[in-house]
Amino acid sequence: MVEAGAWWTLLAAPGLLVVLAALAVAGNAVLDARNAGRPVGVAGAVRPFLDVPRALVVQPRRLPAADRLLWRAGVVTVPVAAVLSTLVIPFGGHVVADLSVGVVWFNAMEVLTWAGLWLAGWGPNAAFSLVGGYRFLAQGLAYELPLMFALISAATGAESLRVGDIAAAQDGLWYAVWMPVAFAAYLAGVLAFSFLGPFAYPAGRDLAGGVLGEVSGVDRLLLRAGRWLWLASGAAMAVPLFLGGGAGPGLPAWAWSLVKTLLVLGLLVWGLRRLPVIRADRYVEFAWVVLIPLTIVQALVPAVVNLNR
Amino acid sequence: MDLTGLGLRVTAARPHVLLATVPGGAAVRLAAERLLSSRDWPQVPTPAQADLLLVAGPDSPESQAALERLWRDLPAPRARVHARTADEVEAALDAGRALLGSPAVQHESAALPAEAGGHQEGEHGSRERHEGDGQAPGHGGEGGGQGERRADDAHGGPGGGHTPHDAGQDREAEHGDGGQAHDDQDADGHGNPGGHGGHGGHGGGRTEMPGGLPMAEQGADRDGLALDQLHVSLGPFLADWPAGLTIRLVLQGDVVQRAGVDEPATPAAGGAAEPYWAQPWLRVASGERVPVGEAVRRRAAAHLDSLGRLLAVAGWPAEAVRARRLRDDLLSGAPRAAVAPRLERFTRRVGRSRTLAWLTSGIGVVTAQKAREAGVSGPAARAGGDVTARYRQWLTDIRRDLPRLEDAAPLDVAMEESPRGLWSAEDPPSAALIALLPRLLEGAELAAARLVVASLDPEPDELAARSAVEVARG
Amino acid sequence: MGTTDTVLLAALGVLALVFGVLVFTLNSMARVTFSLLAALVCVGGITAVLGLPYLGVVIVLMMVMEMVIMAVFMIAYMMNPAGLMPMSMLHNKRGALTISGLVFVALAAGIFLVSWPDRTASRPRDTTFQVGRALMAEQMLTMVLLGFVLLATMVGATVLATHRGRYDRFGDDLDQRPAKDPAGGGVGR
Repeated sequence: MVEAGAWWTLLAAPGLLVVLAALAVAGNAVLDARNAGRPVGVAGAVRPFLDVPRALVVQPRRLPAADRLLWRAGVVTVPVAAVLSTLVIPFGGHVVADLSVGVVWFNAMEVLTWAGLWLAGWGPNAAFSLVGGYRFLAQGLAYELPLMFALISAATGAESLRVGDIAAAQDGLWYAVWMPVAFAAYLAGVLAFSFLGPFAYPAGRDLAGGVLGEVSGVDRLLLRAGRWLWLASGAAMAVPLFLGGGAGPGLPAWAWSLVKTLLVLGLLVWGLRRLPVIRADRYVEFAWVVLIPLTIVQALVPAVVNLNR
Repeated sequence: MDLTGLGLRVTAARPHVLLATVPGGAAVRLAAERLLSSRDWPQVPTPAQADLLLVAGPDSPESQAALERLWRDLPAPRARVHARTADEVEAALDAGRALLGSPAVQHESAALPAEAGGHQEGEHGSRERHEGDGQAPGHGGEGGGQGERRADDAHGGPGGGHTPHDAGQDREAEHGDGGQAHDDQDADGHGNPGGHGGHGGHGGGRTEMPGGLPMAEQGADRDGLALDQLHVSLGPFLADWPAGLTIRLVLQGDVVQRAGVDEPATPAAGGAAEPYWAQPWLRVASGERVPVGEAVRRRAAAHLDSLGRLLAVAGWPAEAVRARRLRDDLLSGAPRAAVAPRLERFTRRVGRSRTLAWLTSGIGVVTAQKAREAGVSGPAARAGGDVTARYRQWLTDIRRDLPRLEDAAPLDVAMEESPRGLWSAEDPPSAALIALLPRLLEGAELAAARLVVASLDPEPDELAARSAVEVARG
Repeated sequence: MGTTDTVLLAALGVLALVFGVLVFTLNSMARVTFSLLAALVCVGGITAVLGLPYLGVVIVLMMVMEMVIMAVFMIAYMMNPAGLMPMSMLHNKRGALTISGLVFVALAAGIFLVSWPDRTASRPRDTTFQVGRALMAEQMLTMVLLGFVLLATMVGATVLATHRGRYDRFGDDLDQRPAKDPAGGGVGR
């Protein structure tokens, strides 16, 4: 069982999330360097972090008729929602808040990025930025339902919405093994809500950066950090949902959680560069015609299994 | 502790570069891209994200106004450098880094933008959702683009039509270019009212609008909705875009309702810059003997450059980087054996990617017959199909050219087509490609429109060469 | 209910009201939509504090999605231009004031007039389970019917709203494949 609410977890959870996100950024930088033929090393891996002090000296962007309040609200929402989502994710034997509806909480926080990104696109009053914001909604309509059914599959399997219970219910057999469709849909959803790699549609290069096109300075840092924080949070959540949480032989629970999270994170970072951006005009139909039926059938499997238990 | 100084040093350690390629600057752009990639200085697509504005190419008075707007949009700390030739790139980048890292310089420039910023708010007349009244239906559904081009012709030359508007019009016209996301769209919307006194009434109303922006007009769209029309220009300095090409779009939502192509700007001295990718063909035309291997190498590199652009627009940066590395290796004269295996792997990975084919199929269809009728002769004509067919044709061509990289036979211009089609100085192949664009873009979504342009990848420099020929004859 | 809960409840209630007032006083469609969203998120919080965490969090989840989509439609269809012009949410002021006043009085009166039952059983440990049971056991038929009605309404409304029918897509004999669409879909139909 997981132990909830120790005071230090309130600091440890965001800290760990930031560290994981930083590792993902560094890993991504290493892969980029290898791809571009630059020497691969620690120096190259930490270079992206030069953007952090840089962001503090860069002038904020001033645009005509920008809705600064909404813009700022959107930019802040994305990373804050990512941090809030980790409250319910058990790491080893600890969790910040062991909510009885943890899965729904995670989902609700993830949906906040819809509002955040739309606002971030709307705020600057710039065409490409706005199109970027709208693009995320189109993408959201495509990825959200398969993701929800994936979450529902895991919750149905454990007959609980409590994340700790779901991890505990996978005694011996991980859900990733007998719910592969749900696992795949979940991982695709993680890339989609962190709008990275094949799902970088709202921040597409064809839109000159889309929602990221007009932000500079700290705003930009927050929005970009939000992406990677979400990726890390999604990877961490995959562990209790589909990979048995901290269970494993030999090592303590926290170590297993860490190893599994890093593996999922590595898989996601590696996957970022495997596909071109999947535009929503294609993906929506695919999601509704293929993915949703598949994930519904997937959700049916644990339901039937539980009925016969 | 000097936080600002630290910030400046950090910024200078890894400047984010906005690369603005002016007409005739292809070779400089290649050098810059290679250098930026090897130094890990990220290339960014908008001024908001940039620290360093690198202007690549010869002096171009026509681009000056647009460059000024880019520069004004760069947040401090910032620096601006100009590399006129490929050899100057390294020095320019180093100079830019020094400027960025110097607190004295930045202190000065930070003071300026603060002022300019205030100024800027007023000046940035044109942003998206607002559109010029000039596009009112009364102006003919056929589209401002064409109308405006006619106006240009009437004024006797490319750009001629714009200048009076720019000068006479207020701040909206100021933003006429729109190389970047935010640049505006109103140049033609406002250019028109500039010429029509009857619209003057709107000027007064503008003061009440938020930010002093004009109100949008509505128009019917393909889905039967009445949505606001946005005037957005693509180019001339858009990232991953043919340098110097400017397409003026009327968007509703992200669907292109109308598209009009501006005459490409020309380099300063009228023909001073020859189109880089067609160089071997031009040299043959001027009587020089050029080995086929060199031409073939240039052509394969051109296709890789186009592929790099297409892949970047398609959102596959990893493969775009690979394409550009291969391009650079080919151009630096790497022997065939050194590039062949990597090229083979690249063409296989991209050519066989089902996802990429799925995403690009059915977009921008140009049948072989239509292409021939339009005077297209290059890979786009041979591919005869959608974006997928065209990028696969490039890949096929690259593979076909691979064994001939070291061929020393003389280049026969009639046998070997230049990267974009059979070369002719009077009627360069890119002219036909550009002429195809408006029809292909109308009705496409913005993402599809970008893919279409990237898959045809016209080179506006070729048109500049044509006008040079005309000038010489005239 | 402990002190923390009471304070939370009061704070969320006040916030919900403030955002609710803002809905009618702000003059930008985007801001109006998002203050309505903020008010509804506060309502979700209230529901959670009152001991129905599932319903509370689901209200937040659903309202975010709904309001964002609503913002798109409100701005696309109702505003000119695009929600940037100052606008007012107040129409038919006198009538609206009367109706809302009456409704408020009726609801407030209801609070005092209804004889609320006292809790007889002990408080359930997991209200989520209770909610599920209430909806899916006794009211199963209602929920299933409601689901179908909602789905049919959505599909029907979309079909009625589209100006292109199947004959436009598939040709007069419905044999044209792939369909003639302005933009291709993802599965090649």
